[in-house]
Amino acid sequence: MSSEPESKTQAPPPAPSKASSSNALASDPELLNDFILESREHLTSIELQLLVLDQDPAHAEAIHSIFRGFHTIKGMAGFLDLDAVRELAHEVETVLDLARNSRITITSAIIDRILESKDYLNGWMSELEAMLATGKAPFVPGHAGLLEAIRQLGAAALAGSSPEAAPGAAASRVGKPSLAPDAEQRATTKPAPPPESPPSGLAELARELASASGPEAAEPAAPAVPESAEPGKPVETHSTSARAIKVDTGKLDYLVDMVGEMVIAQSLVRHDPDLAGGLKPRLARNLSQLSRITDEVQRTAMSMRMIPIGQLFQKTARLVRDLSRKASKQVELELSGEETELDRNIVEELADPLMHMVRNAVDHGIESPEQREKAGKPRTARVTLRAGHQAGQIMIQVSDDGRGLDREKILAKARERKLLADDAPLSDTEVFNLIFHPGFSTAEKITDVSGRGVGMDVVRKHVQKLRGRIDILSKRGEGTTFVLKLPLTLAIIDGLVVGVGSQRYIVPIYAVREMLKPAEEAISTVHGREEMAMIRGALVPVVRLHRRFQVQPRHENPWESLLIVSESGGKQFCLMVDELIGKQEVVIKSLGEGLRNIAGVAGGAILGDGRVGLILDLEGLFGVHRGE
Amino acid sequence: METMVATAPAGFALPKADQRAGKYLTFHLGNEEFAIQVLRVREIMGIQEITAVPQTPGYVKGVINLRGKVIPVVDLRLKFGLAELEYTPRTCIIVVQIESDSGKLMIGVIVDAVSEVLTLQPGDIEDTPDFGSGVATPYLLGMAKIKGKVKILLDINMVLSSQDLQALPSF
Repeated sequence: MSSEPESKTQAPPPAPSKASSSNALASDPELLNDFILESREHLTSIELQLLVLDQDPAHAEAIHSIFRGFHTIKGMAGFLDLDAVRELAHEVETVLDLARNSRITITSAIIDRILESKDYLNGWMSELEAMLATGKAPFVPGHAGLLEAIRQLGAAALAGSSPEAAPGAAASRVGKPSLAPDAEQRATTKPAPPPESPPSGLAELARELASASGPEAAEPAAPAVPESAEPGKPVETHSTSARAIKVDTGKLDYLVDMVGEMVIAQSLVRHDPDLAGGLKPRLARNLSQLSRITDEVQRTAMSMRMIPIGQLFQKTARLVRDLSRKASKQVELELSGEETELDRNIVEELADPLMHMVRNAVDHGIESPEQREKAGKPRTARVTLRAGHQAGQIMIQVSDDGRGLDREKILAKARERKLLADDAPLSDTEVFNLIFHPGFSTAEKITDVSGRGVGMDVVRKHVQKLRGRIDILSKRGEGTTFVLKLPLTLAIIDGLVVGVGSQRYIVPIYAVREMLKPAEEAISTVHGREEMAMIRGALVPVVRLHRRFQVQPRHENPWESLLIVSESGGKQFCLMVDELIGKQEVVIKSLGEGLRNIAGVAGGAILGDGRVGLILDLEGLFGVHRGE
Repeated sequence: METMVATAPAGFALPKADQRAGKYLTFHLGNEEFAIQVLRVREIMGIQEITAVPQTPGYVKGVINLRGKVIPVVDLRLKFGLAELEYTPRTCIIVVQIESDSGKLMIGVIVDAVSEVLTLQPGDIEDTPDFGSGVATPYLLGMAKIKGKVKILLDINMVLSSQDLQALPSF
């Protein structure tokens, strides 16, 4: 860390981070790069939220959001052995935790300090980036002063001082040990070097900070980058960031939309009636060249959004290994369905919740080997990650074979937190869902990794953002399974374009088992109303799409129409449509605000001629049929 | 500005009229002429093929592709309880942007024909007359008299509140 103090004019005291950290980092540049990208993202959003908080100090959502940001950074830094980052994030988190539980109010002094911390962490990221590019050990100014200042802030505010008095109170206590509200938390951080003289007032405090940890801590980040480099040698941070860039998914969506438009426009030109009669060879050649290029562009744009979930699963593998070692547990990770392709938007949004769920499973779900042995279970626990398509949704399961959720403990905690009335009768599902409350945790001790209950809150937030749902299945002593179901929205699917009357619909191909034109004698009616088709010896109910959607069909007789055999909830049924028009890869688009919840319709897609086709949700259609 | 107008309490005739002044796009529905604020209008397009969406009120004609975006289209005739009319080459879709609870929303509005853009002075605008009970007029901003013709000023945000698009309960 302090490898090249000679390049500095005012050398601050040696950074308190472990020297070993740089070695560990160097071993996995990819992981580190991910960490930098992700932290940068979090830091940016933290700053935004801080500014919101500055306007409205009681803004609970902003506090939660900042807290989650630091929490995630802390977690990641923890398993990358970046002690300085972890410590600082932890201290900020502690203060925010107090604010979150309304034990202190946010003052501008606190916001200043958090902003400082954020800048400091940003400086770290730049250093790490430079290290990746040049192989030089990062040089980051000491953070002890900042650390102490934050600790003081929390303690002072907690001591009941008014906002005006807080900075002064904090200043007068600088240097005194053990003022942090939680001894447990303090134990995880290193004591800060006490400043030379007792300061008085905020300005004094700032000066104190500056002298204790070098000018960077008081005015951090920006100068940290250039000063760290060898004099006269530019820092090559840009070369690193070029390997992978974060693109606003909104832009990506827009790109895909526009490329789709381009393909359609291109096909309109190609089939323009004015060009129909005898194309001149040069024009024909150029047109087909154009069409090849557009196809290629479209494929690339589409593929930019689809990635297999395997990458994400791999990340957790590393996490499980590190966590289990830290907690001295034996855990085996089992992955399946890694090849399941997901929209990049979804995968990106899933990273955080998945990490939290796995962390939760290892830290809370799984018992120690001794406990497991006593319970008659193998010493090595098992965490399973599964992904796949199910019932028109993307399903991801995170299961462990640990101790399961403790219903009574959750209930007790919820009552203590006044989340519910004492006598409210609750089902297991309702009780389990309580753990999604912000700040809810049954863990007795707060660890570095998890335990503040922040994880499940994040998980639900993210899943909701993706318009998905999360369910918990748990049995005491046998383990817990989190089932994440994400809708198809944002995903690109292969669809069959079918026609009914003048309308065209898209049937997701994975929902289709087979298609057939039935023989007349294969159709039978039940009570003169319900229709059944005999398919391979089984009677399968027939759902007429035109009746569901009230459109005029071309054929009333099933034997003139096409039957699409599908399955819903383990039961087969067939959907009757007029004809099969073709097969097309489509991007699912929402029909917009008011038209979101139409039974049987999953969304819309732009067809080859520029018109909108409705994407059918076969599960929903059959559900409606059954009166659900 | 527009939202202020929509929520302004009744009884402030003068400031209300002031705020209502501005540019309006006028269009026809049957014999009547309506006007909506130009600021709301995103674009005007000819009638095109509309994909019907099941389980929606009759005035929701379906959805169209607006440069890669899927937006709903509402037939204003049906919405106002006028008789349905065969679409002609003069029939237009006015794409408007409205504010719903969940943010900005684009909606296409089918009208018989678009006529012109007018600048209305505060003096041109009168309050909606009281039609007596039974006629709900929350989406009328007022009336404008231009060259002896009455134009009805619509608060398109109120006309197309997103609940109105909501799917009918499933059968």
